Amino acid sequence: MLRKTLVVAKHEFLATVKTKGFILTLILPLVILLPVMFTSGYVMQIATDSPRNIGFVDETGILQPDGIFTRFEDIGDAENALLNSEIKSFITIPPDYLETGRVVLYSTGGFFSSAPTGLVETFLIDNLLRDSDVDETLVDRIRCPAEVEQITLDENGEVEEKQEVRFLIPYAVAILMMLSIMTTSGYLMQGIVAEKENKTVEILLSSLSPEELLTGKLIGFGSAGLLQICVWICLGILVVSSTSLAAIFQEIQVSLIMILAIPYFILGYLLFAGSMACVAAPASTMKDAQQGAMIFTMLGILPIMLLGVIIAAPDSVIARVLTYIPYTAPATTLMRITLTGIPVYEIAASLLILAISVIVVIRLSARIFRNAILMSGKKIRLRDIPGYLKR
Amino acid sequence: MPGNTNNKRMFTIWQTAAAVIAGAQVGQTDEPVLEVLHLTKSFGTKTILDDLSFHIESGEIFGLLGPNGAGKTTMIRIILDIIKSDHGSVKMFGKVFDEAFKERIGYLPEERGLYQKITVFECLKYFANLKNVKKPDDRIDFWLEKVDLIDYRKRRVSDLSKGMQQKIQLASAFIHDPDILILDEPFSGLDPVNTKIVKDIMLDLKRDGKTIILSTHQMDQAERMCDRILMINHGEKVLYGTLDQIKAGYRESPVMVVEYEGDLKPIDGVTGIEDYGRYAELDLERGTDPQDVLRNLMESVKLRRFEMKSPSLNEIFIEVANVA
Repeated sequence: MLRKTLVVAKHEFLATVKTKGFILTLILPLVILLPVMFTSGYVMQIATDSPRNIGFVDETGILQPDGIFTRFEDIGDAENALLNSEIKSFITIPPDYLETGRVVLYSTGGFFSSAPTGLVETFLIDNLLRDSDVDETLVDRIRCPAEVEQITLDENGEVEEKQEVRFLIPYAVAILMMLSIMTTSGYLMQGIVAEKENKTVEILLSSLSPEELLTGKLIGFGSAGLLQICVWICLGILVVSSTSLAAIFQEIQVSLIMILAIPYFILGYLLFAGSMACVAAPASTMKDAQQGAMIFTMLGILPIMLLGVIIAAPDSVIARVLTYIPYTAPATTLMRITLTGIPVYEIAASLLILAISVIVVIRLSARIFRNAILMSGKKIRLRDIPGYLKR
Repeated sequence: MPGNTNNKRMFTIWQTAAAVIAGAQVGQTDEPVLEVLHLTKSFGTKTILDDLSFHIESGEIFGLLGPNGAGKTTMIRIILDIIKSDHGSVKMFGKVFDEAFKERIGYLPEERGLYQKITVFECLKYFANLKNVKKPDDRIDFWLEKVDLIDYRKRRVSDLSKGMQQKIQLASAFIHDPDILILDEPFSGLDPVNTKIVKDIMLDLKRDGKTIILSTHQMDQAERMCDRILMINHGEKVLYGTLDQIKAGYRESPVMVVEYEGDLKPIDGVTGIEDYGRYAELDLERGTDPQDVLRNLMESVKLRRFEMKSPSLNEIFIEVANVA
């Protein structure tokens, strides 16, 4: 009876992709990323241009103007210049500056404006050291005491580069993966509860078995989720290939992430969706279902909560254990791949455990779905679950 | 609308052919369309159905009656294989029920529901596709015309009144031309005009050879429409048979009502007379032929009206439910 399952899947897929929420999740990254891509150059230019004209009102008599800093005799003149856009900002240096170090910065604000504190500090250092005998090299060091370069060594003692980007990638991968899985599973849970609430489920069950209905829903909502993640991946590739990040990504196992993202998404989705079906079937309202699903949501975001531990020690016991726990495996494994070379056997074992768990959960959810889907007016209680399994 | 007329004509021919085929499939074998054998179902410690057996014959309207909580809905759900029984079996057309039979059943559940955010057409098409209807668009239009809602085809379900939605749901139960219809309270929530539309549709379907299981609390409708009746209470069969059989078996002595002129005298075979002067109720002795009583009556009084009084189904329902 695959035909009926596919009818349900098609209905759920079309119903989901037509919702405002789904369209928004597809469009939102476009709305956010594309303007950022195309305006980043402009923003950089503004950021570079903005501090060009800075005024100062010096009450100590020790400061001299330079190419950037323009002297004003009093605050009134400086304010007028600021309001007339002749300068971007100005500082006042009070008479007790040498004792207190206190200066006041005035600016008009604006979306791209930022306080030029670095320039102000350099200007003050230059002026303070101008008449001293300090060596020019030393002046440079006082201006900028340290250019910190971070180097991380891998387990073979080889130097790993681009650590700052690597820090962001696992976070992004885990967030996107779990966001898509949770959103899609949430759609399934909503769909089940909605059909209970609008009483259509009994009509459906007079046409097909509960197992066919559940399978159709899993396929339909899963396809919508897969579409979502594919669009995001394509967008990611578009953004990366059009920016300087491209070279950095080449160093990371992007192709491996892409290959593993799909099976981990599919298995992860089936696991979470099956689990949420278990709590949605007996639930009378969406609120009840969401309360029941809380435990799975918490398990799902556990790797993100433990991100610091995983980044610090991607081969630690905690990270490896999370790789084998079905609910934490998808996010953890993909995060670890970006940080370290996971042995193939670990990935294989993780996928195997996940696949077995999916089979068990889907079977349990099908049984609970059959026995509990027509129940109404009862709160979900854990102690009732064995009863749903027996009937 | 010539197109619609053609659709209607083609559909009537198709329906007639389908009825002949259904008759050939079911009627010729003299096998019950549906046979329920020793059905038992409990939820926890509560027994909902207790060793219930009955059968439904081809082409009849079968009344399924019982007070609230009697087990009617549970039984319907077991017949449809929505839930499993603890013991017993359901046979359809002589075979043990399986999923394929669902395409031959149309079901209107007591708790009405439709997808609210899609159009009437999209909603009916989804249900039609699940029932494997070959040309769903024609069938949808046919049934929308039949329930007088063709103009609402492209309207969202949520825009329709409750009564209209109920008719859409009825259409969804009929859309795949099922052999058996299970209608749970089909008249509830309908105004008299729509009640007549639904009643006429049901009688049309009966004439086309369809078997209808009518679960209702409206005893007058059941009394007028049903060929046979099963009444259950607390999961047990309390009444089962044709209306005549049930009524005959319900009262120990039949009652004859007469309107007359003259002096009423004692009559052989009459055990008691409730005389009101011009109107009387005569309790006939069991086995007495009413014709003999009439002949005797005509010798002493001038008869203006007479009839055999039988209890209404409503009276039987109330009494059986109260006794139980």
